[in-house]
Amino acid sequence: MNVFDILANYYPAFLKGLSVTLQLCAVIWGSGLILGSLLGLAGAKIAPVAFASRSISFVLGSVPLLVFLFWLHYPAQAMFDVVIDPFYTAAFTFSVVNIFGVADVVRGALFDFPRQYLTAAKVTGLTPRQTVFKIQLPLILREILPTLMLLQVSMLHVTLFASLISVEEIFRVAQRINAQIYRPVEIYTALGVFFLAVCLPVNGFAYWLKKRYTRNLSEH
Amino acid sequence: MLTARAIHKAFGEKQILRGVDVAVAPGQITCVIGPSGTGKTTLLRALAFLDYPDEGTVTLDDRTYDFPRQPRQAITPPPWPQVTAVFQSLFLWPHLTLRENIMLPARNHSPERAEKDIEGLAAFFEMGGFIDRYPNEASVGQRQRAALARALILNPRYLLLDEITSALDIEQTARILTKLEHLKDRNIGMLLITHAIGFARHAANHIVFMDGGQVMERGPPGILDAPKTERLNNFLSLVRAAQ
Repeated sequence: MNVFDILANYYPAFLKGLSVTLQLCAVIWGSGLILGSLLGLAGAKIAPVAFASRSISFVLGSVPLLVFLFWLHYPAQAMFDVVIDPFYTAAFTFSVVNIFGVADVVRGALFDFPRQYLTAAKVTGLTPRQTVFKIQLPLILREILPTLMLLQVSMLHVTLFASLISVEEIFRVAQRINAQIYRPVEIYTALGVFFLAVCLPVNGFAYWLKKRYTRNLSEH
Repeated sequence: MLTARAIHKAFGEKQILRGVDVAVAPGQITCVIGPSGTGKTTLLRALAFLDYPDEGTVTLDDRTYDFPRQPRQAITPPPWPQVTAVFQSLFLWPHLTLRENIMLPARNHSPERAEKDIEGLAAFFEMGGFIDRYPNEASVGQRQRAALARALILNPRYLLLDEITSALDIEQTARILTKLEHLKDRNIGMLLITHAIGFARHAANHIVFMDGGQVMERGPPGILDAPKTERLNNFLSLVRAAQ
């Protein structure tokens, strides 16, 4: 049985697993990019928000993600005597990490934005709206887009941890199929190819953006 | 006329400007000279309405602005680009080509004329060979000319220049300063912070010598040859020694 036979025989299970992975990603990416950007914006304007966000991010960065996930899945639920669907636990855990990760990137870019470009906009008579849309936004997007893309790829990778709390995402599906037919080489190669096909273009694009636009950001 | 009267400015405990008066007349060049850290750039930023003075008055033609003001209190109507500035670090927007840097603000004011004017400015500053490059692809001298063109295409009445030749070699400095001299014919009033004493002597209408946040001596370019104060004399000796 080769890779294609396995895919042909088990494609409904793979598709279901893929669908769960994509649902997880949609929640993590959506919440991370939207709420993280808002938190980053707020942090750049309001010092206490920046302090709180930085502190939480620091604490989160010091706890292994798997420990955080397991803690929310077992002890936290036992403590509050609740049972939450593992999908939601995983989505919440990874979203929190993504939100604070995105907030760090956005806040840092806003905080470090060179004030001299705003001075130039002012003395040349640009309106505040033009300054935001023609100067600030393009420069900040160039700065943060590659980092945000790489972060989102990392978040796709960490969705695999959800399998450890019984979320039926693609990795867990692959494990279950392997348990039935014991074809680890073919199954995990197929899984590797799937992740390569999704992540490699995104990574490549992010590196291209970084190389191209970091160069143009330097005045000297 | 662009004038500043009795300008005071402090940063924290440090008093930077102590009652400075200066005037820039249309079609004339006022050169501000003096040692580093004496408040020249702070004065220029006050005249450009970028940093509000703690006390004093800035008059732009028929409009008078009294200070102090709240830091976020807007200046209305906005004085830019009637007054504009070019700084030592040029502040060209790095994601735009030199042409786009010049055209972006110009389109706000008179889009049709800007299209014509940029060709004239490109010729005036000899920018034809590099105008479509990004700032990081151009030399310091080329960026300097683009920054000046970005200011001039706005047809300002007053142009404030902060040591714009400090990073240039002698040849490029001479080229830029010669161009500035020609701008007097366009009735643009210029305030130039510079260490190019030769240019100040040759082209300026007024010299203002600052030290310790105060104007120590002012007058026609002749004061550079016959300074009345010991401080200006010492400063000129140091400049001569450095050159």
